[in-house]
Amino acid sequence: MRISWMIGGAQGSGIDTSANVFGNALASLGFYIYGNREYYSNIKGRHSYFNLTISDVRARSISNKVDILASFDAETVFHHFTDVTRIAIYNTDVVNTSLYNVQSIEPEVAERVGKLLEEKGLEKSVSGALKYMESNGVKLIPVNYDEVTKEVAAKLKVPLSVAERAKNTTAIAVSYALLGLPKENLTRAIERTFKQETFLKLNEIAVETVFSLVRPEFSLPIPGKAKRRIQVDGNTAVAMGKIYGGLEFQSYYPITPASDESTYIEAHQEVWYEDPKTGDKRKRTIVVVQAEDELAAINMATAAALTGARSATATSGPGFSLMAEGLGWAGMNEVPVVVTFYMRGGPSTGLPTRTSQADLKFALNVGHGEFPKIVIASGDHVEAFQDAVLAFNLAEKYQTPVIHLVEKALANAYSIIDVEELGLEKIKIDRGKLITPSDHFYQRFAFTEDGISPRAVLGDAFMYYTGDEHNVLGHISEEPVNRTKMYQKRMKKLETADREIPEEERIKLFGEDSRVAVITWGSPKGAVLDAIDELERRGGLKVQVIQLRIFSPFPSRLLKKLLEDKEVIIDVEGNYEGQAGEIVKEKTGIEPTHYVLKWNGRPMARDEVEEGLLKALNGERRVVLNGGA
Amino acid sequence: MAELEWKPLWNDWCPGCGNFGILNAEQLAIQELGLDTKKLVIVSGIGCSGKTPHFFRIPITGVHTLHGRAITFATGIKLSNPSLTVIVNGGDGDLLGIGVGHFVSVGRRNVSLTVILHNNGVYGLTKGQASPTLKRGLKTKSLPRPNINDDVNPITLAISSGYTFVARGYAYDVKHLKELMKMAFSRKGLSLIEVLQPCPTYNDIFTKEYFDKRVYKLDNLPDWDPVVRREEEKGEKMSKAILKSMEWGERIPIGVFYRNDLVPSFEERIAESAKSYKEVIPAKARIEANGSPTTIIEDILKEKEV
Repeated sequence: MRISWMIGGAQGSGIDTSANVFGNALASLGFYIYGNREYYSNIKGRHSYFNLTISDVRARSISNKVDILASFDAETVFHHFTDVTRIAIYNTDVVNTSLYNVQSIEPEVAERVGKLLEEKGLEKSVSGALKYMESNGVKLIPVNYDEVTKEVAAKLKVPLSVAERAKNTTAIAVSYALLGLPKENLTRAIERTFKQETFLKLNEIAVETVFSLVRPEFSLPIPGKAKRRIQVDGNTAVAMGKIYGGLEFQSYYPITPASDESTYIEAHQEVWYEDPKTGDKRKRTIVVVQAEDELAAINMATAAALTGARSATATSGPGFSLMAEGLGWAGMNEVPVVVTFYMRGGPSTGLPTRTSQADLKFALNVGHGEFPKIVIASGDHVEAFQDAVLAFNLAEKYQTPVIHLVEKALANAYSIIDVEELGLEKIKIDRGKLITPSDHFYQRFAFTEDGISPRAVLGDAFMYYTGDEHNVLGHISEEPVNRTKMYQKRMKKLETADREIPEEERIKLFGEDSRVAVITWGSPKGAVLDAIDELERRGGLKVQVIQLRIFSPFPSRLLKKLLEDKEVIIDVEGNYEGQAGEIVKEKTGIEPTHYVLKWNGRPMARDEVEEGLLKALNGERRVVLNGGA
Repeated sequence: MAELEWKPLWNDWCPGCGNFGILNAEQLAIQELGLDTKKLVIVSGIGCSGKTPHFFRIPITGVHTLHGRAITFATGIKLSNPSLTVIVNGGDGDLLGIGVGHFVSVGRRNVSLTVILHNNGVYGLTKGQASPTLKRGLKTKSLPRPNINDDVNPITLAISSGYTFVARGYAYDVKHLKELMKMAFSRKGLSLIEVLQPCPTYNDIFTKEYFDKRVYKLDNLPDWDPVVRREEEKGEKMSKAILKSMEWGERIPIGVFYRNDLVPSFEERIAESAKSYKEVIPAKARIEANGSPTTIIEDILKEKEV
């Protein structure tokens, strides 16, 4: 069982909160959910929406086609009416609203929608859009939101302007009632969210009113919940992973879609830990600094790492551009610092609140000169958590910056996961060659077989660091023989990493060996896996999915082996160039035969990926997806 | 590990460089205060002053960073391990040109650091371009035409940015400079010491001869009292200090312009909301035992439970 639901409304009108309440209620009944949030770079007024997939088994993607659309404004109807397949909840008050009276709608959207309605001979208004849906077999559910608001106002004796705020809850309550689910779970979810008494009552009355009016359209078997579950978005998953992995210092400069991670850590700046010496439960502080810019953010984190603190920063493309300088210093000085890089649409300010996978090559090549970087890309929320710990381990083990790639599509999407999926008890902490030297004098950059020198921290011995080329002591050295050796020592660490990190951990395989392979990485993973399940279910087609997880050091040997006998290799990723595909070609000599690409800023949905893969299998070499509003 | 014998490096500053005086004063201040040199970190930027940590004639720990960014590194070091004494050595181009954003921003935080500003009016290592402190209309010998930029006044800027100890020394008055440094190194909060530093190679205007006859000590003024002792005095003391910082010409003041120990340091501000910051040094927390995390995330998971 899988239902796709969407709610839309003006940014700042409480869409997020409502979608969360709705999700919480469903989760409490044992449903799994995957939800994605789309919004403009705007505080209040522009169209935002939440797209949820509700399932009795683990959900991992969204669908562009939605079974149920919940709306209370005209703009939501205009943006999404062509994507509704079963039920549309609309506000009776906006039926006559003309397409051209919605001020906030972008002119390109108005033009496209106007043209479509005109072609169909329909009025360019909400009523036209409703007729369009009706003719496609969509059941329309009119809701007189004003009436509900009046009833709430009368019952609570509050002004209409206050009661208005129950609109969102009304929309989710109608959706929930249509699903035929027990009212108590929705009420409980509301109680969990709204602590203020007036708002709590307001929302409760709205639910009562709705339940007295709406008849169920579905009868969903309630899965029930055997395992402990949490709801996490990408920002929080990474933050939780960092905390568990021993984060002690995080610096950041505000940027969408990265800052929520740092804000979360700041809100949890004191964490409990078990002092291994005494066995006592104590609190420790994670220092979180809001820096003046990203130059400061990366350098503060790098410097904190020199003291032995597990340190990180989080940013997005524009900030990462500024961090290039600092990352070079960290590379030159062999500093274990972690950058969580939430990709959004570029170049420049680009699409600040929309997703992208266009910075893969930038991450791999950041900074001038050559220095080893480790680049990890998470494909879902569980990986985002685990990779946050892995990033620290690899940074400390190989004493070099680690870039952890996450996308807006994961940062602002959430999953319901079983806690056991996190594998907490299996997570290890590896601090590498961290030492406390017995001698005061110490060679920070001593030459070793594997390129990795024993690392003491500031305050434990005398030592020198410099961004200049240096000798074993960390003093400036321009001498050519030392230059050759020291350069090689740094670069050797990546070779050591390549030897030590099992290639099987750098690639995840799904499905059995087949003549057809799909290569993907990052957030499209869920949509790709769901699309392939669907294709296999329908046509018996066998496809092997290859998820690239660590791009540096690249798993060249294993990947080459996997790709050698493939007849069809389809590369699915969210950029124009097919960047991962190009890297695969560079590293293995094997080029993808087909590409399914997307760069419109919206995450990949399972239905469009399925269509895209079909097109590719039918010979289209380069399929461009454009789903999402 | 092989026994290493520490020995100082050959110093490649130009003969007569003001940096020698600054380095001497800094070493003396550290020694006279009896600071634990193992807990001392000298952070520098890029340029002639950037080499300061390498040229110490006593063993210390040196972090030679990026152009303009020394303050950001120093901040990260101090906040993750507040038990360290952290000193920044930077030039006027470094701290007030490429790094001026950090110079101002750290003032808002009052992190316990000392910033030593080597002010010679030129970019020495790139052959004498005008620095942000060179006055408009001046033409030092390597400039192709007179400077058309106005200058930044480091003392004024530091006071208005929130530095809580603002002083000026002179590279050739090592004894006086050393005393300023001792005050700065032994206090909480952010200190700036601007050092008038002749560049014998590229600045033929602000020479030793120029400064020798102009500098005078604020201490010698009968009614000079730069210390804020009560909150209400802050505005007045700040204004007086800023007014004094404008004095430049026949007489150039050196000494403490402003001092306010009433402002909480950034470390104290963190500890206000995170009590454990005072008890457990973040950099020294035991985050792992036998390869497993020691951090307990039960509460965090509970918050997200559905």
